[in-house]
Amino acid sequence: MFKRLILPITALLVLAACNVTRVVKPLEKGEHQVSASLGGPAIVFSGAPLPIPLSSVAYAHGLDTGLSVSAGLHTTSLMFGVAQMDASLHARLWQAKNDRFGLTMSPGAHFFYDFNEQNTRVYPQVDLGAWWQYRENKDHLLYGGVGSWFELYREKAHGQVQDHEVLPYVTLGHQFRWDTWSFQVEARYLGMFYRNDELVVTYLTPFNTGTSGLYFGIGKSFGK
Amino acid sequence: MRRSITTLVLLLAVLGLSSCLRLDPFLYNPSTDIDGYYLDDFDGETEIQLDASYDLPDSTTHVFTLTSDLDGDLAEIYAIYLGDIARIAQDTVILYLHGNAGHLDYYWPRIKLLGNVGGNNRFGVLAIDYRGYGLSEGTPTEEGLYVDTDAAMKWLKDNGLTDDRLVVYGFSLGSAPATELTANARTLQPSKLMLEAPFASDEVMAQDASGLSIPGSFLSNLQIDNGDEIRKVEEPFFWIHGTADSYLNMETHGEVVYGNYDGIYSEAHRVEGAEHSDVPAVMGYPEYTKAVEEFLLIQP
Repeated sequence: MFKRLILPITALLVLAACNVTRVVKPLEKGEHQVSASLGGPAIVFSGAPLPIPLSSVAYAHGLDTGLSVSAGLHTTSLMFGVAQMDASLHARLWQAKNDRFGLTMSPGAHFFYDFNEQNTRVYPQVDLGAWWQYRENKDHLLYGGVGSWFELYREKAHGQVQDHEVLPYVTLGHQFRWDTWSFQVEARYLGMFYRNDELVVTYLTPFNTGTSGLYFGIGKSFGK
Repeated sequence: MRRSITTLVLLLAVLGLSSCLRLDPFLYNPSTDIDGYYLDDFDGETEIQLDASYDLPDSTTHVFTLTSDLDGDLAEIYAIYLGDIARIAQDTVILYLHGNAGHLDYYWPRIKLLGNVGGNNRFGVLAIDYRGYGLSEGTPTEEGLYVDTDAAMKWLKDNGLTDDRLVVYGFSLGSAPATELTANARTLQPSKLMLEAPFASDEVMAQDASGLSIPGSFLSNLQIDNGDEIRKVEEPFFWIHGTADSYLNMETHGEVVYGNYDGIYSEAHRVEGAEHSDVPAVMGYPEYTKAVEEFLLIQP
């Protein structure tokens, strides 16, 4: 087959779930964290898997015990003339008495502004994650969760009806945590309820739905 | 922490300054690694395959160049005419506008198939390699598609073609110049429009791929918008699309274009089980050429 790389493939540049989980476990009160994320969905191009390199940088702050905020700027989108920012709260829903298990809920939103034609978009997002500090004397975390973007716009191009109200995903990851540094690796499977076999782009998934991706993150904490 | 923030700000400044990347060039996938057009002797991949019964006399196959002027950027573009050039002043001519991949050899069987509509060379067929495709000079651009197509129309007009005998056939990417130059005529006003597997707009592509209602401007500066331009077309319209098209979804692209047409006559051919590139083969070559012939002959 002649290759047919075409611009919709890179629609993924602004696709939902384009970064690692910003805050797995709420930060300590007064703690600051800067982080960077790289990774994205994988597509099949010319018969070979091709990861889409989505990048972002973020800042998070521990407002109170069990409550943090984060904000991110998506640098790959920026290179394409689109300011994509995200902001979220991260609230501890529950934490085990031994402090080794916990649940975190993260409501937030992604904002887009296109410098070329001044178009804007806002997509609310909610994540629900569980983490497990699986070794007693180490801070490393295994985590997983579910989340979704929510579509506020009911109309698509040419007056067509947008029938996707949510764009859900599941995550599974590991966060290595040392004194002030952390490193994350995370797998995501998104849009699992939507067929992908009649699209211009061939997503790398085990099924004919959604797309999967691998993401990496690195963080540095201050003020702990 | 101050040093980290300074580094971060510098990084963002660099990225911000470089925020001129657009995805428009990814629309085009020309192949230029050829030293000539081999037509029947081409041994590379082609969109469809025809047996020898569809061969046409060599004397009716003409490969030549045209000069296309894009705001002073002159490019020699290659063209193939099937038929008797001396009869263009009397014949009906199909202007075939190919897709985003390859070059004329890749589409040669499709071009030849149109040369068989109604019998050998019953209708003239002109096909071009847009600038940057095959041996044509230049780099592909959206406006380049339009001026190259218009250059082909000028050549036809110079050889005696009139509006009423020009039929434009756009396949895939070719649906853009086909629709644009029918909706907003330049040198000639085509009398009929035929679109195979058209795309509605880059916005539909982006929305299909992302699942979100993102504007096309997030990704490209393309102004191609067949879904809206088709509203201006009054001329008879023939639409054909594979139901299993995994490249340009029939529902989100083709149906939108067809549904927005509001001219004097239209016909739709939804080819069951056909993919993006094999509509004529899946439909059956006799059935395909008959459908094209019937449309060419209608007088609405």
